[in-house]
Amino acid sequence: MIKLECASLKGFLECASFSVSDGNICAVLAETDFEKNLLLRVLTGLTGLDSGKVFIFGREISSITYAELGEVRKKMGVVLNRGGLVSNLKVWENLMLPLAYHASLSYKDMEEKMMDVLNNLGYNDDLNMLPGPLPTYKKKLLGLARAILMEPDLLIYDSVFDGLSSDIRNRVLEAVNAFHEEKKGRVSLFLASSEGSIKGIMAERVYVLKKGNFHERN
Amino acid sequence: MAGTKEASYKYLRTIEYLYELFSLLFTAFRNLHFLKISPVRAVFFRQIYFAGIETFGKMVVIGMLIGIVIITQIINLVGLGSAVLTGKILIWVVVRELGPLLAAIIIIARSVTAISAELGAMNVENEIENIEMMGIDPNRYLIMPRFFALTLSAVMLTFYFELAAIFGGITVTSIFWAVPFEQYAKGMLSSLSITELSVSLIKSLLFGMVIAAVSCSQGLKVKKSITQIPQAITRATIQSLFLVFIFDGIITFIFFV
Repeated sequence: MIKLECASLKGFLECASFSVSDGNICAVLAETDFEKNLLLRVLTGLTGLDSGKVFIFGREISSITYAELGEVRKKMGVVLNRGGLVSNLKVWENLMLPLAYHASLSYKDMEEKMMDVLNNLGYNDDLNMLPGPLPTYKKKLLGLARAILMEPDLLIYDSVFDGLSSDIRNRVLEAVNAFHEEKKGRVSLFLASSEGSIKGIMAERVYVLKKGNFHERN
Repeated sequence: MAGTKEASYKYLRTIEYLYELFSLLFTAFRNLHFLKISPVRAVFFRQIYFAGIETFGKMVVIGMLIGIVIITQIINLVGLGSAVLTGKILIWVVVRELGPLLAAIIIIARSVTAISAELGAMNVENEIENIEMMGIDPNRYLIMPRFFALTLSAVMLTFYFELAAIFGGITVTSIFWAVPFEQYAKGMLSSLSITELSVSLIKSLLFGMVIAAVSCSQGLKVKKSITQIPQAITRATIQSLFLVFIFDGIITFIFFV
């Protein structure tokens, strides 16, 4: 599902390789936030490599067109550290944005789906407000809800557990595990820069990104 | 030698920038069919509301005042002897020149600043990249609807501005100089030809496209610092004004020289 083949990027990766197979839960622990963010950008095709290859769903993302990359991104979800919501859209518009853009569902179906996901996450705040004043953990929950709504085959979590209270952390962990189990072959990749961020996840493999390469931790 | 090098570098930068604006325009036209997607349509209508509907009232008031000022000066200059002549001058000044130009200036003051600031802030907050991560092309979702909404608003607002200016001119003449409203309106409208209307339409279309392209392009140029936002707004405003005046001159030259 995800494969980095001798990926090099000046000052960051030196012929680094790692792969995540279908159905796996995996974590990558970077030394700094900067490295973690750069890895996320490489995996989502926002930053190109100096050399090497990145395969997502078996497609080498640097050799495909922008439209094809869009199709790949459509099947992958990213839950960002601070939610990644669009500031000039209301909460419900943010949640529905990728769904309304990519899927051909009726408004009613989308709304039902959205409410189901929000109920599962225990989010019951006003959906008609702009996301600006919301606390970070709520933005994170909304970012997770938005990603789940798209039912992606690959979900990348960017320090998703940072700054959550234990109660909310358990709720999110439960939702993340349930979502992973929901579809056979789905991949969950957790990116973090501190040990605490991946505590409690059922990762089959944990890679440590150190000195430009991935080292599998036993 | 260094001066020549600098000058050629400046020319190259200008050509590069014009190419950038042209590709933005081309991309917008190529993506026009994405307006059928509901979130894209929502951005389009929101922009129409902001740039077109919210500006409508102010545009009409300014148009009427401009019409009153122009007709007063014309009557002071040529007297009331020929209603056809005064009418013709008003139509020429308003429809050929001032209508598209002043409407464009008002749109620049209101919408260019808003669009470049909004896109700039979205860039600083990484929102545009987050949108891309969802598989949404920012050119289709953010740029194209803004481009067409602003262009359409420019055409509509120019039309209303001209209508208000002519109405203001006719009204003030009939009130203060006791010229019958109907007679004066008839004389004035008889001097309105297809050429005037097409020049006005072409100008407003072109101005709208230029303003939209410049504001989007400058907004997208803001990268990682919030301090770049006011700089982008200033650049967008000045460049829009500059290009609008250049195109105004070119079109006037083509049609009337």
